[in-house]
Amino acid sequence: MADLRRYFDDIQPGEEYESPGRTVTETDIVIFAGLSGDYNVLHTDAELMKHSIFGERIAHGLLGLAIQAGLFTRATQAYATLAFAGLRWKFKGPIKIGDTIKLRAKVIAKKETGKPDRGLITLERTVLNQRGEVVQEGETDLIVERRP
Amino acid sequence: MTPQAHLYFEDVAVGMTVTTPAMTVTEAHVAIFQGLVREPGEAPGVVPELLPLCLAIGLGWRAPAPPLVVLAFMGFEWEFLGPVRVGDTISSRARVVNTRALREGGVVVEEREILAQTGEVAQRGRFTFLVGRRPKEAAA
Repeated sequence: MADLRRYFDDIQPGEEYESPGRTVTETDIVIFAGLSGDYNVLHTDAELMKHSIFGERIAHGLLGLAIQAGLFTRATQAYATLAFAGLRWKFKGPIKIGDTIKLRAKVIAKKETGKPDRGLITLERTVLNQRGEVVQEGETDLIVERRP
Repeated sequence: MTPQAHLYFEDVAVGMTVTTPAMTVTEAHVAIFQGLVREPGEAPGVVPELLPLCLAIGLGWRAPAPPLVVLAFMGFEWEFLGPVRVGDTISSRARVVNTRALREGGVVVEEREILAQTGEVAQRGRFTFLVGRRPKEAAA
């Protein structure tokens, strides 16, 4: 089978990708609370949250982060990723039940590492809601294989 | 005296440390996570990097210390130092490294680590939270 993954050598700074949208549901939040064990009232108490600055329950920040990681795989042809090396991330605004988020990503840096078979790709990522508001943003560093 | 249910900004001091209980990461955690966010499968037995981070937040709620009144998770910087595998038992350690008072509450910066059962640090970084002030009626 042909290897359709993109290697470090193929990826160029300036490349931009946009994912499909994904509607974040109450079910997503309930499953994430159950999986993570994070039952903070922000995500689980509808009555209390009516009186908060958000007016309703909001998604866990890390749920939004995890969903955008999934959206990245639908935004572009797969990278030959070996590992996720790190990230710098800001939660800018709430993701509410029923919001539809999408990811915009841009390759901003490409660096050699100490190992000849791999390199480091840095992406700038922006997560937007249906109104075009930035809800999360940051940079991620991926270790990507070189073309064998 | 009633034990305190929550830690407000006023209760937080630089140097405070919290260690969570540990938990074993299973195939089920990986399957639920992958179904939820559609992260494609990695090498068999390797846990998606973001999953231990998500589990560590929940472990924080089970630590033998009252939870912080977090109004918002503002951001974080994170390094993935090594893989976590199915069957590994992870725990987390957090230490307050900075605080800054604001009108509505305060900013708390913590250094966190996720440890494997061997004591090896698998992931680490800094979290920034907006933490609420003690409400008037809850004053001691």
